[in-house]
Amino acid sequence: MTSIRQSGPSPQTPTKQRRRASQAADQIDPRLYGLPRAATPVLTILAALFAVFVLAPLLWLLISATKSQADIYTSFGFWFSGPFRLFDNIASLGQNISGAGVFVQWLANTLLYAVAGAVGATILSALAGYGFSRYRFRGSNALFFGVMATLLVPITSIALPLFLVYSKVGLVNSVWGMILPSVVSPVGIYLMRTYIDASVPKDLIEAARLDGAGELGIFVRIALPLSMPGLMTVLLITVVAVWNNYFLPLVIFSKSSLYPLTVGLSALSQASQSGSKAELVPVLITGGLVTVVPLIALFLLLERYFRGGLLQGSTTGL
Amino acid sequence: MPRKRRSHDRSGIAFISPGMLMLGLFMLVPTVYAIWSSLYSTRLIGGRSFSGLDNYLTVFQSAEFWSGVLRVLVFGAIQVPLTLALAFAFAALFDAGVIRGSKFFRTVFFMPFAVPGVVASVMWSFLLLPQFGPYAEILSGLGLKGVNFFSSGMIVPTIMLIVIWEWTGYNMTILFTSLKSIPREVSEAAIMEGASLWTIVTKIKLPMVMPTIVMLAFLNSVGALQLFTEPSILAAFQPQAVSFGFTPSLFVYNTAVGSGQYELGAAAAVILALIIGAISVGGFLVRRRNGEFR
Repeated sequence: MTSIRQSGPSPQTPTKQRRRASQAADQIDPRLYGLPRAATPVLTILAALFAVFVLAPLLWLLISATKSQADIYTSFGFWFSGPFRLFDNIASLGQNISGAGVFVQWLANTLLYAVAGAVGATILSALAGYGFSRYRFRGSNALFFGVMATLLVPITSIALPLFLVYSKVGLVNSVWGMILPSVVSPVGIYLMRTYIDASVPKDLIEAARLDGAGELGIFVRIALPLSMPGLMTVLLITVVAVWNNYFLPLVIFSKSSLYPLTVGLSALSQASQSGSKAELVPVLITGGLVTVVPLIALFLLLERYFRGGLLQGSTTGL
Repeated sequence: MPRKRRSHDRSGIAFISPGMLMLGLFMLVPTVYAIWSSLYSTRLIGGRSFSGLDNYLTVFQSAEFWSGVLRVLVFGAIQVPLTLALAFAFAALFDAGVIRGSKFFRTVFFMPFAVPGVVASVMWSFLLLPQFGPYAEILSGLGLKGVNFFSSGMIVPTIMLIVIWEWTGYNMTILFTSLKSIPREVSEAAIMEGASLWTIVTKIKLPMVMPTIVMLAFLNSVGALQLFTEPSILAAFQPQAVSFGFTPSLFVYNTAVGSGQYELGAAAAVILALIIGAISVGGFLVRRRNGEFR
């Protein structure tokens, strides 16, 4: 892949001082650009309008999670109304209302799939990224290009045949059917390769070799510690990817006790909208809130790692 | 040193092999299996038998499939430029430093990235509910009564709205980081020359982040062509709005899982993959001819 340049954005997080300096430089007097002074407030209002557009659905989700089923439909969506039922709604997540399945079970499943899948993907990506970055062997470039080309394959043409293969090898309705494909992450391999390119010096590896260190030892004791932020980024990105995955579990699971949150919520919305199970609507909405909160919290806490990964993707080819 | 060379090769292969093994098992094998099974047909009597390109012929002749393909092409042709224009405009303004509280806004804009498509679609299904939904109420308060976001004319723009909500911040974040990597001296020199913000952004910075925009256009287009989650969730709320083959992915899913015709679904999936591949390769060739890939 000729378009990939080996550029290395600095992996280190900015020190406090640098961060303060960059914050001060964040803003520039619009008159320097020949704009009137009012440009800043006007453009800030524009950004605020888009922020309202982005936040409104999340606000609606939070408010609606406190309502009863009737109030969700009859009261104005952006304000509280009726008795405060948030805790009753959360309690109902632990029950199997109308036989649609138990939300708490889906939450536990999602945690299992996301953690196991992301840890596996991070380990495999680190190994492969190191192999592609620090070794040149026959066909390595072609193989790497092949890995990147898999990004083009639509999920539909993977998930359906996977289901058919599973039915032959007994992986239908097995947690492994979800976890094993989740450890495959072409983007993770790509990110680890560029990260190691930028932050594990070749000389250091050569020096360790001369000292008689084994190849695996060099990887574990030198390469891994130097690529911690990169590993963190891949871990987070794959957690989000597995957490949000919908099509694969939709196809491979028929037992609702194995569903992750996405498929469970989809089943809930089907059930709540078709006919007589409207009592599921508060479960659906509160369930949506509980699905979103952990990821948003994770993202707010570890934002710089997310951005680190996106940064690497952006300066190169993917 | 041929021996040393060979052992070096072997270590490299050892490092990549676990990842390649899983990639082969869970991407290559299913893809090959999809192609293989698309050449067979299952009948009620007689079981599975080789049928050559019959399934492909059926898909090619299916008006439903092609209307879905056309729909996602139109969808992508509008949604992708719109998303990228919005994302770039905000990224450039944040980068230029003419918006107050830019860090707060950047965090907020990126938040939908953490929201699964399923949840986003559920939220918007309620928000846009005709008559009772808060947006319909706000619109009728403004004098626009009876707007139905799920009517046949509005359903595609409605899904665009949802997808733009989901992905603008992600694209903006990538473009912002890309813009930030342009040395400060570039815009400082332009300011000294008296260049306007518009000139700096469109004539100097836009060309410099063009590779990033191309990459994002490519990723967003592949996503748009595979559109599935949003229409499939909307279908639960508004069954009349989303047909069997509303998008090619829905066609594949409904054919294979809904109707149990796996082989036919596999053929449709292969055709979809070929369409996506052809568009990607085509875009790549056009850009290489223009000398933009080194």
